[in-house]
Amino acid sequence: MQPANGGIPRRSFGRTSLQISALGFGGHHLGDAEDQPTATRLVHEAIDGGINFFDNCWEYHRGKTEDWMGSALRGKRNQVFLMTKVCTHGRDKDLALRMLEQSLNRLQTDHLDLWQIHGVSFENDADLFIRPNGAAEALEQAKKQGKVRFVGFTGHKDPAVHLKMLNTGFHFDAVQMPLNPFDGSFFSFQQQVVPEAQRRGMAVLGMKPLCGAGDPVKKGVLTPEEALRYAMSVPGVTVTITGMDNPDVLRQNLRIAQNFAPMQREEMKALENRVRSVAADGRFELYKVSLKYDNPEARLAHEFPLDMQQKEVKEMMRSTENTGHPYPQLEKAK
Amino acid sequence: MSRVTRREFLGQAIAASGSMAMAQQNTQQNTSSDIPRRPLGKTGLQASIIGMGGYHLGSADDLSTAKRMVDEAIDAGVNFFDNAWDYHQGRSEEWLGAALKGKRDKVILMTKVCTHGRTKDVGMKMLEESLRRLQTDHLDVWQIHEVIYYNDPDLIFAPNGVAEALDQAKREGKVRFVGFTGHKDPQIHLRMLRHGFAFDTVQMPLNAFDASFRSFEQNVLPEANRLGMAVFGMKSLGGSGEMVRKGGIKVEDGLRYAMSLPVSLTISGMDSPEVLHQNLSIARGFKPLNDQEMHAIRDRCRFEASDGRYELFKTTKKYDSDEGRKMHDFPPVAQLPA
Repeated sequence: MQPANGGIPRRSFGRTSLQISALGFGGHHLGDAEDQPTATRLVHEAIDGGINFFDNCWEYHRGKTEDWMGSALRGKRNQVFLMTKVCTHGRDKDLALRMLEQSLNRLQTDHLDLWQIHGVSFENDADLFIRPNGAAEALEQAKKQGKVRFVGFTGHKDPAVHLKMLNTGFHFDAVQMPLNPFDGSFFSFQQQVVPEAQRRGMAVLGMKPLCGAGDPVKKGVLTPEEALRYAMSVPGVTVTITGMDNPDVLRQNLRIAQNFAPMQREEMKALENRVRSVAADGRFELYKVSLKYDNPEARLAHEFPLDMQQKEVKEMMRSTENTGHPYPQLEKAK
Repeated sequence: MSRVTRREFLGQAIAASGSMAMAQQNTQQNTSSDIPRRPLGKTGLQASIIGMGGYHLGSADDLSTAKRMVDEAIDAGVNFFDNAWDYHQGRSEEWLGAALKGKRDKVILMTKVCTHGRTKDVGMKMLEESLRRLQTDHLDVWQIHEVIYYNDPDLIFAPNGVAEALDQAKREGKVRFVGFTGHKDPQIHLRMLRHGFAFDTVQMPLNAFDASFRSFEQNVLPEANRLGMAVFGMKSLGGSGEMVRKGGIKVEDGLRYAMSLPVSLTISGMDSPEVLHQNLSIARGFKPLNDQEMHAIRDRCRFEASDGRYELFKTTKKYDSDEGRKMHDFPPVAQLPA
């Protein structure tokens, strides 16, 4: 773990020799930036600050974050490790491959470094993924065609669902999950999934170090520094992906990552214990106990109710302009 | 040697056999048009196999409609009435109290206490309010409501927790039997049972979809049967009919599936005379489904059961009340609908 560019530690991606920054740039929040020039500045400043891991997803802000990241990375594509995710949620291989083409197009690149199945939340998702003609076949094909280098999956709901995915026998290179002090004692990915992923030599991508929208920080339960340091110190974690929608948050996070010294086990335990009573009902981990963080694609595919307050849903309603056309509007398979 | 009564022995033997036999064996029926009755666990009471849900009563058009529905249900042989302290901010209890005037002794009356982690004293205060609204000096069953958060068992059994209120109310004769209810996760129910508290009753979602998804039927029902508790099934159609509207199951099949399980009764919400009539006609002369029929219904629902899309009370916040959210510091329904 040698501090490289900008002093942010870099770590090996799984069993490969690829070195990625211990702090990753979350794609969703990029779409919350004030405007595209701001987003571009954020991406550039992140790269200059030593971040080389960039996260995204086919459905974030209906494609806006992929678009913005694509233009921001123009001329810099080779300096970064680029990931995006596919939103099949149980649907078939063809849909996945069509989403891949859209993502590549928006990101202005001919290949991804990592392509992940997004939002594996539901208890039948693993079965749907591995079924004949399921998304597993798309991951394989895209890899074979050189359109993606590595594949993985992500989800924030239940460690048992992650374990089901791992137990499909499919060869994943990476897996993403919430890692934070609350997760340490409540439906714990850290306890149940990280060791399994490590055993398989997978890259472990942590997310939601501040629980998704910073609630515990807003309520004074812990500081951003405590939360980020904890997440980055989880034994076995490769990168901690966090959202940064304005220059202040970006600079704060860069400073924490550039000065990063891992927490010792006792310090991590102490923090877990401090938050244990409010971790115990999931109030700060709403992604585990409610639908709040489940995006419209997941809900639509599984026929769960939409939340009209959700950003993606509002954008989706706006984009249909009351024409009655369903969302999403993907080209039919040829 | 511990003394085992014949009924306990029978109950254990039957639960162990895992068949529908118990429902059939214990069901009493006078004529083919009666609503059958079953023993309410070890309480000595006999309850109609269908109970009137308190929440939906408060959704009826008005008080006089609610009264007519309660009267009609009693006349048809329904003798179990459910309620909760927080349903419609007390309206459900008030309407049921008014409707039961002069008929209190004909029914088994239940309500629930909504402490959600608060102390015994809060529980006792809620009990007094419930008794006043229900216009009675005692409840037949008093249950801890919505045990759905993973730390609820710890809070309930903490020193000065609401478990002590259940004890005290029973001692004071204000309630005859006590229990708890929840719709979230069988593991939470099992944690409650492991405390060894003398619960007389337990309530849980039981339906054709539950059978193969985070299943109370598989995980909790056998344990409650083994303990000889009275079991109240609920959410036989998904909580607001989702299983019928979208899941393609017929009302009859949904209700009959639930009532065929080894339960004392199935609590069903009825917010209009039409729904009441429909449920009464299913319950009248009810004969439990056989194993084969049960199996067929389960199979038909299996795929759509597998992500919990029609059991939103397990998989989302949709059915979690504001009272509980407030105590657990969760966003209210308006901000977090599901």
